[in-house]
Amino acid sequence: MMRTIMHIDMNAFFAAVEQQSNPALRGQPVAVVGSQQRTIILTSSYEAREYGVKTGMTLYEARQKCPGLLLVKANNRLYTHVSSQIMLIFQDYTPLVEISSVDEAFLDVSGSLHYFGSARRIAYLIKSRIKTRLGLTCSVGIAPNKLLAKLASDLHKPDGLTLIVPEMVANLLKDLPIEEICGIGRKTTQKLNQLGVFSCGELGRYPVKKLKRQFGIVGEKLVLMGRGIDPGAVLSPEQEAEVKTIGHSMTLRKDISLREDVARFLAQLAEMVGRRARRYGMSGRTVTLTIRHSDFSTYSRQQIQATPIHRSEEIYRAALHIFDRLLMTLPVRLLGVRLSNLQYLGQQLPLLPEERRREQLTESLDRVNDRHGEFTVMSGSLLTVKGKGSYVISPAWRPEGIRNIGVR
Amino acid sequence: MREVVDDIRVGVIHGPGGQIKPVWFDLQRKQHRIQQVTNSWHEKRGAVSLIYFHVSDGGALYELVYSPTEAHWRLEMIEALL
Repeated sequence: MMRTIMHIDMNAFFAAVEQQSNPALRGQPVAVVGSQQRTIILTSSYEAREYGVKTGMTLYEARQKCPGLLLVKANNRLYTHVSSQIMLIFQDYTPLVEISSVDEAFLDVSGSLHYFGSARRIAYLIKSRIKTRLGLTCSVGIAPNKLLAKLASDLHKPDGLTLIVPEMVANLLKDLPIEEICGIGRKTTQKLNQLGVFSCGELGRYPVKKLKRQFGIVGEKLVLMGRGIDPGAVLSPEQEAEVKTIGHSMTLRKDISLREDVARFLAQLAEMVGRRARRYGMSGRTVTLTIRHSDFSTYSRQQIQATPIHRSEEIYRAALHIFDRLLMTLPVRLLGVRLSNLQYLGQQLPLLPEERRREQLTESLDRVNDRHGEFTVMSGSLLTVKGKGSYVISPAWRPEGIRNIGVR
Repeated sequence: MREVVDDIRVGVIHGPGGQIKPVWFDLQRKQHRIQQVTNSWHEKRGAVSLIYFHVSDGGALYELVYSPTEAHWRLEMIEALL
C-alpha cells in the first residue's frame, strides 16, 4: 500500500508565537534571541528575513542588516506550551505522529484518509485549526515518504501546502542540488561534489558499489535518497527508540577557570540530570563530562560506576572526579553532564541504614521541588548560581515522557 | 471538532474569473457573518468537483463545501474556538 506522509513545519515558530502574544510586534522585523548573554539569532520573523536576518547570526550582524530589528528574549516555556497544543491537534488525525522538534512533525495519515476524504483535506483542517486557534501558519508537505514530505514542506513557505505524487518525483529531483535533501549535510555534500555528484538525479544514478566504497553502508542509502526513496516509518513516541542517555549542558555566561566555579555548575547540571532520571525511575552506570574550552576545542571523558546511580550528589561527585583528573590549560566555555548505560530502578530499599536515609532525603527533596518548582530546595553551593535550569529547547524535546525537559 | 453534514444557505460575492467568496451563512436560524476565510481549495470526489472553504465567524471554525454543478452548499465541520 502506498503511504501518505505529511511533514508539518511551523513557520518562523518562535518569532510568530511572540508576534501573536504581543500585537505590537505584528508586521515588524522581529528576532528571537537566547535568554543567556552570549547569544545569537535563534529565529526571525519573515519581515526580518526580508532584510537578510538569518538564524545563527550574531546580534551585531543582524543589526547591520536591519537597524530597526526588534529583539525579543526567548520564552521557551511559551514555545513548548504552544507546541504541545499543536501536537494535540495532529493527534486528532492519526496516532502516528513523529515529533522531530518543537516546531516540526511527521504524520502518517495513510490509515486516516478513509475517514477524512483526502490528505489535502487533513492538511487544510490542521492548517485552519492552527491558524484560527493560535494565529500561526505552517507549511505542509504531502508525499509517499518522509524524505519527500520534508522536501515538499520546504518548497512553499510560509503557509504553503505542497503535494508530491510519485509521477512527479523523477522530474523534481533531476536537477535538485543534493544539499536540499534532508540528511545530506555539508561534509557529505563536499565529498559527493568531489565525486562529481551535484544533483539528486546524479546521485540516484551513481553506482552503488562506488558510493559504498566511499561512504560504507550509508552509500546505499544515499543512492536511494537521490531517487527519492525512503523506507523509514513514522514513529510515534511509543515506538521511538528507548532513551539511552540523560544529559544536560550549558554554555556559561562567561568563561571560567576556577575549580570552585566549575564545581558549582557541575552541581547544577548533576541536579538537572538526577532529577530527570529519578522522575522516570532510571539510574545509570556511566557518567560523562563534556567540556568546551574558550577556543571551542571540545572533548568528553567518562567514568563507569560500580553500581547504577541516580542521586544528584553521586552524579556530581563522579563528574567532579573526572574534571579533577583533567589538565586544564584554557578557560571553560561549556559544560555538560550525561548519565548513560541506563536501567530502570528497582523498588527495593537499600539495606544499609545510611543509604536508606539518603534515599529518603532525596525523595523528600524531589517532592518539594515537584510541588514548588525546580531548585526550590537545593544544595547550598547552588545558591549563588544565576539562571539555574535549562534555557534551551533541545532538539530531542517531546511534549511528554522522559524527553520532556522543563525549560525556562 | 464536530463532523456535521447539513445543507445550508450561504451569502456569496461572485468576483471576476468565477471567484466566489462566502460572506455569511445561516445556521440554526441564526445568520453568521464570516470574519475570515482561512483556507479554500478545490477537491474532486469521484467525478464531482467541490470547493472547500474554512471560515471563521470569530466564535468557531466552519468547513463549508460548495458544489458548482449543483449550486449547492453544505456544512461539514464545526470547531468551537476557545
